[in-house]
Amino acid sequence: MGNKKTKLHYYPGCTLKEKTTNLDDTTYAVMDLLGYELIEPENWTCCGAEFPLTEEKIVGLAAPVRILRQVKLEGGNKVFTVCSFCFNVLKRANEAMVTDPLKHKRINAFLKDDITIDRVTGDKTTGFPEYNGDVSVLHLLEFIRDEVGYEKIRALIKRDLGKVKVVPYYGCRLLRPKGKIGIDKPDDPSIFEEFLENIGCEVIDFPFKQECCGSYLSLSMPDAASEASYNVLRSAKLNGADVLALSCPLCYYNLDRRQDRIKEKFPEFHEMPVLFFTQLLAWALGVDEEILGLDQHFCDPRSVLGIDKSGVEI
Amino acid sequence: MRIKLKFEENEKKFIDRVNELSGENVYSCYQCGNCSSGCPFVFEMDILPNQIIRLVQMGREEELIGSKALFLCASCFTCQSRCPKGINIANVAEAVRHLIEPKGKDYFGPQEIPAELADELPQQALVAVYRKFSK
Amino acid sequence: MNSHGKKKRIGVFVCHCGVNIAAMVDVKRVAEEMGAYPGVAFSTDYIYMCSDPGQQVILDKVIEEKLDAVIVACCSPTLHEITFQNAAKLAGLSPFQVEIANIREQVSWVHTDREEATLKAIRIVRSLVEKIRYNKNLEPIEVDVTRRAMVIGAGISGIQAALDIADQGYEVLLVEKEASIGGHMIQLSETFPTLDCSQCIMTPKMVEVSRHPNIKLMTYHEVESISGFVGNFTVRIKKKPRYVDEVACTMCGDCEVVCPEIVPDDFNLGLSYRKAIYLPFPQAIPGTYTLDIDSCLGLWPIRCSACKDACEVNAIDFDQKEEIIEEKVGAITVCTGYDLYSMKSLGEFGGEKYEDVVDGLEFERILSASGPTGGEVRRPSDGKVPKSIVFIQCCGSRDPENHKSYCSRICCMYTAKHAMLYKHHVPDGQATVFYIDVRTGGKRFEEFYQRTVEEGNVLYLRGKVSKVYQEGDKIIVHGSDTLTGRKVEMEADMVVLAMAMEKKEGTEELLRKLNISADTDGWLAEAHPKLKPVESINVGFYLAGCANGPKDIPDAVAQASAAAAKVGTLFAQEKLQHDPAIVPVNEELCSGCEICVNVCPYDARELDSEKGIVIVNEVLCEGCGACAAACPSGAAQKRNQTDNQIFSMLSAILKK
Repeated sequence: MGNKKTKLHYYPGCTLKEKTTNLDDTTYAVMDLLGYELIEPENWTCCGAEFPLTEEKIVGLAAPVRILRQVKLEGGNKVFTVCSFCFNVLKRANEAMVTDPLKHKRINAFLKDDITIDRVTGDKTTGFPEYNGDVSVLHLLEFIRDEVGYEKIRALIKRDLGKVKVVPYYGCRLLRPKGKIGIDKPDDPSIFEEFLENIGCEVIDFPFKQECCGSYLSLSMPDAASEASYNVLRSAKLNGADVLALSCPLCYYNLDRRQDRIKEKFPEFHEMPVLFFTQLLAWALGVDEEILGLDQHFCDPRSVLGIDKSGVEI
Repeated sequence: MRIKLKFEENEKKFIDRVNELSGENVYSCYQCGNCSSGCPFVFEMDILPNQIIRLVQMGREEELIGSKALFLCASCFTCQSRCPKGINIANVAEAVRHLIEPKGKDYFGPQEIPAELADELPQQALVAVYRKFSK
Repeated sequence: MNSHGKKKRIGVFVCHCGVNIAAMVDVKRVAEEMGAYPGVAFSTDYIYMCSDPGQQVILDKVIEEKLDAVIVACCSPTLHEITFQNAAKLAGLSPFQVEIANIREQVSWVHTDREEATLKAIRIVRSLVEKIRYNKNLEPIEVDVTRRAMVIGAGISGIQAALDIADQGYEVLLVEKEASIGGHMIQLSETFPTLDCSQCIMTPKMVEVSRHPNIKLMTYHEVESISGFVGNFTVRIKKKPRYVDEVACTMCGDCEVVCPEIVPDDFNLGLSYRKAIYLPFPQAIPGTYTLDIDSCLGLWPIRCSACKDACEVNAIDFDQKEEIIEEKVGAITVCTGYDLYSMKSLGEFGGEKYEDVVDGLEFERILSASGPTGGEVRRPSDGKVPKSIVFIQCCGSRDPENHKSYCSRICCMYTAKHAMLYKHHVPDGQATVFYIDVRTGGKRFEEFYQRTVEEGNVLYLRGKVSKVYQEGDKIIVHGSDTLTGRKVEMEADMVVLAMAMEKKEGTEELLRKLNISADTDGWLAEAHPKLKPVESINVGFYLAGCANGPKDIPDAVAQASAAAAKVGTLFAQEKLQHDPAIVPVNEELCSGCEICVNVCPYDARELDSEKGIVIVNEVLCEGCGACAAACPSGAAQKRNQTDNQIFSMLSAILKK
């Protein structure tokens, strides 16, 4: 055994490298403690963020399929994500390669002429194999439940989260579209709750856990998005939560970073801290506070983790 | 509030194209309204999601061109997950957007991003919103 | 060969069925080609063979052309085989010399290429010519009939069926697995569209059942197994121990007072509590307490014998044991009813999370004068009178994607009734109904619905609700009104879900015991959806009430009476005729290997150990042919469907 880590493919996605680095950092930190060495597929690009819903927009599948093909070429048979958007797009693209022969044919015809150039030697690689959807796309919550196991998590816990009342917020893209994509039943999910219970949180149920936060409408229709976010946070508060746990950087942007805007629109709004599930897990496993990147948050979550303003654990 | 309903070449072609692009059959909708009841952005919409389907069933492409509702979809798929007929309404809306795009306006362009937010916007939001709502 | 040892003269009659067959099959060509086929002495076509003149053609030609056998190429044999057998009989032929070539359901209705369809029709007719060459005339097997019926389930349908059979003078066993008869109807408050109190109209029938000299009431009993065949069934019935002597119990209630175990009351759907020893409801029949052994502390007097000690008439008997009773009956009527689809399946409505979101049956108990709130409309969570109730229709119904594809038929009416009764109880309350369509297809139903809307000022909103959740002490409903094109969000004190009806729990097990079939939704299947609505496909079994699909009380009662009339028709026959097309044993070929004994689903075959061969009980054999397929020596061959006939048919079909 020793300190030998298991290699595992991880697709972070753009937002995690540029904006919500706290999500990326905590993912690396917890996976290290759980015994995994993460490999990012070489030359990974943006996944496309939005799965193309019509046949005409099929070119949107090129990026995610290319990423999955790269995982395969590197000898991987699975890749996990933490960002719900990336998870959704990769999983849907993968599923399309398995179940939709027309998409499979068109995308593979398009991608077979790819050329890659080695940065150092300048050597060109061409002639890529077909991709047939044989890499499994997992969300970290699934990976923890099915491959790490809650028992192992419980054994590694260093800090007690017992006093924190947490609502799990799934949002849209972990659960829908209904069918093969979601990680749980769209209207009766439990995987997030189980995860939180196993890392020692007190889980609070709330009826907006699968409602949309406003998503990218915060750009195109900011008022609509603010109201959607407000509804989610208000319901969490009403049901007695101290903190809302999530996995999506865009949900985080809407539900935390935009709380100032929500407050403008809804004066009665009370701020509420929001944490990524990986931050909660990292804290429970004893990761240092600075890795959690808590200063990136609009609403300071330190008090719910039992840290005072100066950064000392209470 | 009066229309003269007709099913000529244009109307039929529009309905067929929506079905073809979306991979759905709009005729399987029996107008229960569940999509509209569950949609989180209805409060900003001019027509309801079920009315989008209704107007397609009636071949009313012209009426859909000006609709704001088509551009309020965030692909949350709440409608799809609860539709009693399993219709992927987001796909239908996307197909309609695609068909009316040449005739309608560009709903979201880079100039519309508020400058003060440009730095902190998540990339995924930018990519997704352009993909979804720009020509 | 015919009876004179000559080659059979076979006639072929091809029906057009108007355009049903003729549009896709060239019937003239079929008749022409068959006319030239070896053994066919005469061939013709006619627009409607089943019409009087059509039958006359058969009759005339059998005589004129001296035909020995007749093939009619037409619709499925389930429809007109008997018609043509009778026509042939008039001309002096045995019914076993008539065969039907199904060229409608199996050809014209399912094909789109006329040439191919015509060729297929010719091949099918050819194969029957080959078969009929070897058909023998058989004599029907006659059997006695036991003029005694069993009715399974004692809700309103079972009660009505039992009474109607009993009133015809036949003995009835009425088997009910619960502690009392009454079913779901006795749980209802008032009934649409006349608002008679359910208990008031039902209890007289229950009393009649209990007093009827021809009815043997078997409550707390369950059917274990059934063997035999129409007119001669043997049933094994399990008597579950009640631990209370039904006759001795005076219903004084002393036992209930002292019993320490409190459990949710299933008659009130868990809205109130009862003791482990209980009377399901005051008018229960039989009038006796029952000890619910699953809730009781145990039958060891050392642990608790409070009830036994309190009973002055010594009615409580801890030594009662389960018993198996064997009975003979001639007909079985299945009235096993329905369940409500569980609210757990609707996660978007909170599953069963919110106390003040109830299903239709729970609301019946809340409305009922004998219910947990004593007839006052109070909500379960805090007992407050709800000032605003939202009713949601089609919860799980009409949803092929996620739940049940069918319409549950009764919910539109009971929701209207709920809204009206609520307004009677709470005149200043607001009732709102979310609906998709309002279906009021019964007598005086539409008038009732309109009265609800007008007199109750009930607001009907046309749209399916997507989400229901609790906020504080309010229930929030997200629906829509598609008529005005608006999403509707509203607060209510209570929400009533018109849950879909579904097959009774345990239906699969019952199907296995009875050897009868169900449709794709699990409802028991009728023999024909229009023409045999109360008969099962298996002869001797009849269906009534919700066992074969959602029904309201008037329809359930009508169907129960119809089923009872069918039982009467069966019992009116002196002897029953059993189809002689069975699978006998060729004694010279049988080696007694018993393979056929093991595959027979009807227990019709057994080894005669003296002779070392298998013998067949002719009345038990249904001629299914399982044994014939399994028999390694060819000793088991079905009459008029021998191996020789099957191979001749196959080569006639496969030949160009």
